Amino acid sequence: MELLDRYLQAVRKHLPWQRQDDIIAELRANLESQLEEKEGDLGRPLTQVEMEDWLKKLGSPLHMAAHYRPQQYLIGPTIFPIYLNVLKIALTWATVIYCITRAVTLFTQTPHGIDLMEILAQAPGFLFTVVAWVTLVFAVLEYLIAHQMVQIPALCPPSGAWSPVGLPPFDPTANGGVKPKSFASALAEIIFGFFWLVWLLLIPSHPYLLLGPGAHYVTALPYKLAPIWVPVFWCLVGCGVLQLAWNLVELARQNWQRPHPAMRLVYQSVPFVPIILLLTARDHALVLLKNQAADQVRLATSLDAVNKMANMSVASVCAVLVVVLAVGIVQWILEIYRKRAATSQ
Amino acid sequence: MTIAENLFENLRLELRRGCLTLAVLAQLRQERYGYTLRKALADDGLAIDESTLYPLLRRLETQGLLASEWREEEKRNKRFYRLTPDGEQMLTKLLGEWNAINASVRATLNANPSETSNTSL
Repeated sequence: MELLDRYLQAVRKHLPWQRQDDIIAELRANLESQLEEKEGDLGRPLTQVEMEDWLKKLGSPLHMAAHYRPQQYLIGPTIFPIYLNVLKIALTWATVIYCITRAVTLFTQTPHGIDLMEILAQAPGFLFTVVAWVTLVFAVLEYLIAHQMVQIPALCPPSGAWSPVGLPPFDPTANGGVKPKSFASALAEIIFGFFWLVWLLLIPSHPYLLLGPGAHYVTALPYKLAPIWVPVFWCLVGCGVLQLAWNLVELARQNWQRPHPAMRLVYQSVPFVPIILLLTARDHALVLLKNQAADQVRLATSLDAVNKMANMSVASVCAVLVVVLAVGIVQWILEIYRKRAATSQ
Repeated sequence: MTIAENLFENLRLELRRGCLTLAVLAQLRQERYGYTLRKALADDGLAIDESTLYPLLRRLETQGLLASEWREEEKRNKRFYRLTPDGEQMLTKLLGEWNAINASVRATLNANPSETSNTSL
């Protein structure tokens, strides 16, 4: 009996405090009846080993007490799908914002202020914080909804509130599918690609094609582009030629309908060449003074500001491109995985 | 435990969960306390752990399907449970549902006898 008292005492510790006495009294009555019957059948009290075996079969005190607690979830099945969706969106935006802000910091801070490895090492911590906050908010919501402190129809709509009319329109490109490109659109791509290339090649001699009437004011400014822009310009021309040539080859091979996903990744990767050229420019100087000797003292501060802004813009573009490329790679991998899974079935 | 055994155990528990509530409600058309209820269920072939049954009685009482009363019997204070009028209504509805499911499964099995040659309800 002493062992049963110890068992019940251990169970009590894990019970809700308001109902401890009541539950233990009932459990004791039931278990004592059971014990009495067992001993009546045997005609003797249970030995220590038999008693231990019997209590073992009842389950650990924690296990026994846990069944008396109401079923609790950190985030219950009703709001869990919404939690997952919000988490996905929050993590995507957090990654984009982190990449942009860190890239800007990387290229605008002093050379020894912060390095790439430090940025990469800090990323998991930042993303973990985002996950923790979203989880915390949903755990609080779950608690409030479970205890009927609040009712949030948007999170737990009544079953009749849903309507198929609100479903998004059918998208054939969803689920990894690629909408076939029409001949007209493939041809239009080539024509526009050609004109874009011509336009690009004319810009150095006719800057108003890029800046419009603003070209007049820009030429009047005391600044000029740094020499690094020359290879950057030819890189852009090279990208245009490469894309035009590839589109022509695809058209000639009658393969324009479904371009290879790898080619999409190549297109997304090529812009990194001019971006990297700009980011690695000597002293981060993308803009110089036309008349260095005369304007150095007067315009040094504003030149520095212009260069900082230009570098920040290039870094932001680079961060966006990194995210786009990462998404493209993930999509490609998923596509391959889906195709493999489909063929293996 | 192998994966298949584990899967079977999970599915078996899932299948039993609803049946246990039904069986407990059916047994408590007659007043009983925890231990005698457990014995009655076991005698009918539905053994149930103490850690499952006693908390289940509490939950059903909270839901208004059972009523309980402390009373002395054989020099021991025991908590006796019985069905409430709501519990009786619920039992009738659940039994209807149970019979419908049973009939459907039976009909499905009879419609595909080759797939269930070793199965009988």
